[in-house]
Amino acid sequence: MKHKWLGKALACVLAGTMLCSLFAGCGGKTRENKDWEELGYQWEDTEAPIVKEKGVIEFEVLAQKNSMTPNYNDLQVFNDLEDETYVDINWENITESAYAERKTLILSDRENWPDAIYHAGFTSAEISRYSRRNTILPISDYLEYMPNFSAILERRPDIRAAITSYDGKIWSLPRIDEMGLTGNPNLLFMNKNWLLTLIRDGSVDFIDEEDVVDGLQLDLNQMTQVLELFRDRDMNGNGEDDEIPMSFVFNNWQGNQTDLYGAFGLPDNPDHMTIVDGEVVLTAVDDKFQEATNFLADWITDGIVPLSVLENSQDAFLASGKGQEKLGAFYWWESATVVSNPDNYIVMSPLKGLNGEEPTLGLSNYPEISTGGVVIMASCPNPEVLCTYFDRHYDPLWSAQLNYGPIGVAYEEEPDENGKLVQKDPPEGMTADEFRLQLAPMGIMCLTQYEWDNFVNMEPRAQLRLDRLEKYANPYNPENVDRIPTLSFTLEEINILAQYEVNVDNYLMQNYMQWLINGGVSDSAFAEFKSKLDEIGLQEVLDCYQAAYDRYLANQGQE
Amino acid sequence: MEENAIVNPSRKIKKLSKAMSKSDRIYYIVIDVILVLLLLLVLYPLYFVVIASVSDTDAIFNGEVFLYPVGINFKGYDALLKNDMIWTGYRNTILYTLGGTLLNIAVTIPAGWALSRLELPWRKFIATYFIITMFFGGGLIPLYLLVSDLNLLDSPFAMILPYAVSVWNMFMVKAFYTSGIPDGVLEAAEVDGAGSFRTFFSIVIPLSKPIIAVMVLFYAVAHWNNYFSALIFLSDENLYPLQMVLREILIMTETAGSGMGGDASTILEQSKLANSIKYSSIIVSTLPILVLYPFVSKFFEKGVMIGALK
Amino acid sequence: MEQRIAGLTLKEIRKKEKKNYWLLLFILPAFVFVFIFCYVPMYGILIAFQDFVPGDEILSQYTIWVGWDNFAMFFKDYMFWTLIENTFLLCFFGFIIGFPLPVIVALMLNSMRHKRLSKTIQTIYYIPHFISLVVMVGMLYLFFGQYGLVNNALEALGGSRYSFFLHEEAFRPMYILSGVWQDFGWNAIIYLAALSGVDPEQHEAAIIDGASRLRRVFAIDLPAIGGTTSILLILSIGNMISVGYEKVLLMQTDANLGKSEVIMTYVYKKGLTGYVMQGFSTAVGLFNSVVNVILLITANSLAKLFSKNTLF
Repeated sequence: MKHKWLGKALACVLAGTMLCSLFAGCGGKTRENKDWEELGYQWEDTEAPIVKEKGVIEFEVLAQKNSMTPNYNDLQVFNDLEDETYVDINWENITESAYAERKTLILSDRENWPDAIYHAGFTSAEISRYSRRNTILPISDYLEYMPNFSAILERRPDIRAAITSYDGKIWSLPRIDEMGLTGNPNLLFMNKNWLLTLIRDGSVDFIDEEDVVDGLQLDLNQMTQVLELFRDRDMNGNGEDDEIPMSFVFNNWQGNQTDLYGAFGLPDNPDHMTIVDGEVVLTAVDDKFQEATNFLADWITDGIVPLSVLENSQDAFLASGKGQEKLGAFYWWESATVVSNPDNYIVMSPLKGLNGEEPTLGLSNYPEISTGGVVIMASCPNPEVLCTYFDRHYDPLWSAQLNYGPIGVAYEEEPDENGKLVQKDPPEGMTADEFRLQLAPMGIMCLTQYEWDNFVNMEPRAQLRLDRLEKYANPYNPENVDRIPTLSFTLEEINILAQYEVNVDNYLMQNYMQWLINGGVSDSAFAEFKSKLDEIGLQEVLDCYQAAYDRYLANQGQE
Repeated sequence: MEENAIVNPSRKIKKLSKAMSKSDRIYYIVIDVILVLLLLLVLYPLYFVVIASVSDTDAIFNGEVFLYPVGINFKGYDALLKNDMIWTGYRNTILYTLGGTLLNIAVTIPAGWALSRLELPWRKFIATYFIITMFFGGGLIPLYLLVSDLNLLDSPFAMILPYAVSVWNMFMVKAFYTSGIPDGVLEAAEVDGAGSFRTFFSIVIPLSKPIIAVMVLFYAVAHWNNYFSALIFLSDENLYPLQMVLREILIMTETAGSGMGGDASTILEQSKLANSIKYSSIIVSTLPILVLYPFVSKFFEKGVMIGALK
Repeated sequence: MEQRIAGLTLKEIRKKEKKNYWLLLFILPAFVFVFIFCYVPMYGILIAFQDFVPGDEILSQYTIWVGWDNFAMFFKDYMFWTLIENTFLLCFFGFIIGFPLPVIVALMLNSMRHKRLSKTIQTIYYIPHFISLVVMVGMLYLFFGQYGLVNNALEALGGSRYSFFLHEEAFRPMYILSGVWQDFGWNAIIYLAALSGVDPEQHEAAIIDGASRLRRVFAIDLPAIGGTTSILLILSIGNMISVGYEKVLLMQTDANLGKSEVIMTYVYKKGLTGYVMQGFSTAVGLFNSVVNVILLITANSLAKLFSKNTLF
């Protein structure tokens, strides 16, 4: 008898409390707009405090944070910024992996919205959809309170065009990190000792020993000849047939096969989509693509390129360059991560065609202007104050500090003779990246050529890469080819893309891979491939991109 | 006395089987051979995880690690164990596992028992009520809103309450009772005039040791491995369970190892370290829970139930 | 022989008629928890019929209802039948191999003579369950990659290297066998527990009758786990077109897409494009559930013909 009574009571209490709290919920936190005079708000002077004193205004900002970076509330650069602006930001940090899962959940929980999201990572499609639902605030309505940011848009109509949504408004703040590094993510390296050996014993006679320096340029036939010798000979002299004549990581974001397609005159990239003469095209339906693919497939069949590159494992690729020297030639962003002795390798100029045609290099589509860096929620009180606060992030000196670390820690206190900031070396036992991650949030900011010329010195390692690209890559980028910028799609376009884009992509990659494995593609199979692509919506996808690109160009012309 | 009662029957069997027929001998040899072969098949990859966790990553990818570790180092373990969060993670995981499993057992065993009884009213409706939830769910968004409304976000209870009962396990319990408890025993109790509760506590529970043991194992392991609810319900790092901490350490190392244009040798070191961590974190996270099985399987001994009856 | 009506003995029928309302209390806690955490959020299913963007209220005047559009988008997709086929075959073959193995292993372990050895083997068999997916797939690449252990062995034995990850035919066997490898020991546990319910006296009696060990496996051990097997069988059939996306995605290469693209990986990829497709993915999930339920009900009614151990 006792049991039953107890059980019932317990169950009732449990159910009761749960249901009560379920329906009571929490009241939400509606905060009122504050009066400008009460705040002492000003926005024109970009070096003075924004409000009259600390503590008059506070914002809740949700921020996705790299796990190596300390809590943003303890980050010196943000505290410094608060000391300058008097705007108090209460950062709520969430790690990157959790944010990826929680983004939609947090947005669903309308009652507990933050005032803004930093490192929001909104795609342009997300911006289009959320903006239609009164979720996020149109930042372009507040441009007058953002002097630094407005000045950038004034100066660079292309940036304005890239971040403007199809409805003509700006819904998010961008991160602009222009170093000119991402357009050409591949460089071709070759083992210089192996090549010299071949020249000395007369196996290679079309170049001399003194040609074996950075910038060496071969055509495809010559390259094949060299690589075949690498394959057949015991180049590293260990008595085993373990030489890998040529390697890369298939369709990786860098160090991929696409520069090889340049030798056939096709400006390819890992998306296989680019802009030629103002038109969005799929490179994979070009006849040159077929030709180049057959050529690469032959290399694979002949054992010049190992089949394992198609398993696109970066780890396996990187491991193959360590220990016993095995790599003859390879594509990568730079050589030091790949091989143990980078000094043994020279950087080559892009390969010429089968009959010595000049190569053309495609441009990758990785944007240097990324939208979606910060979004302000529609429920935010006094959004103009928050906008002015975020505007400070675009001040050149703050940009540099937010991206690399505060002056006095990451930068020398005193600028150099040109008045530019000079980067300090990381402390003993710490690498540049670790150092940077512990100091800088690396969110929205703006560092373009203008800032590099006038305010900040580039990191030495970035400078080195830039110099190499200027010599061995940029001259081969054709005039009429452009990268696809960040595009904003209308809701109708999003629906169409959502329907077809994954299919087109899958079908393309699936066939492409099969061709490379099976020794190439016949004319009839290639024709069938093209017609099937049209059937599953290629044209619809291209049309959407074209329409969005045309809007982008039009936006650029407005200014 | 009781001990004897348990041991006796199996001894008897042994005695009887002394006079083993030829076909039995073949049978035993065949199953021994199969099970041992299967054992090797299981053991080698496990062994590989262990040697990979202390080997040099390049050697692993170049296929040199095969029978013994190459380039022995303990960097993976070092990176894990020097991180203070690991110990907080262990503590939290143990608490979630203990608390969660206790609640699970208290809810699941009685429910499974009731479901197995033919005299349960509205039996069909109740079974359907539970089965529906195995197939239809509202998805993450409403669940998140619910947890948020219950004020359970960033609370340890978010790791336990939503998972109080697994319908799948409940039906396992039901299946066990349906075929595992001799009807005669229950009828005897009913004749004695024992009520439902007394029957359950004094007769059913003692007979349920094997299924309770299995349920403890199933639920405890599920709690032990659960990181997803931590990922979506917890922001406070001090509440993170072990698996979540291990994930964070791995991601931290991987980010440092993927920096664009970073210092080449560091990137390499970090991405190699990330690989070691993947293997060593399996060892670190599973060793404590592995001891559970030998403990649990004690309750599978033949005769445990019979012994309890006497 | 007892008289049977619709598979039930008279005793059972009598029991069915005599209701015991106290039993409801046993089930109440589970009932409440399931209500709160499964039924309360279930309104989320409505998203399948909406043009939903996170932050929208699921039921309000602003809700944009689109009827069956999200479903139509899935059914009209040119990949639809491929996805169904790939998903079903992956589950089906997985079931054919993965379901009986734990039963057989449990029966064998149970009839081993050296009990201590049997315990040790059981403990080792269940360890692979704890290997995370990432490491599991990582090992598959290491073992079966172009220059992996298996290929090295193949070459040493005079064969030629075979790219397991670049041939779509290899995908299903690799996926299924690695899954079976990881979980057969774990899944055998529930049967081992059920086998402990066998009364040793039954065996003694059979031995005296001169039954061989193999015969006793079929006559005594197998019936003892019948209930558990039957329930698990029905539940597994009711999961015939569900496969998680994580492992498949990790094992997917562009070359094996033809076999490795399953419903959930496809939905996952669509979601990744950033086009915010909650409506679509909910609709596909709902479709999946409906098919599974149909399979489950079929399996359950079939099982009723043979056994009293059914789900409902």
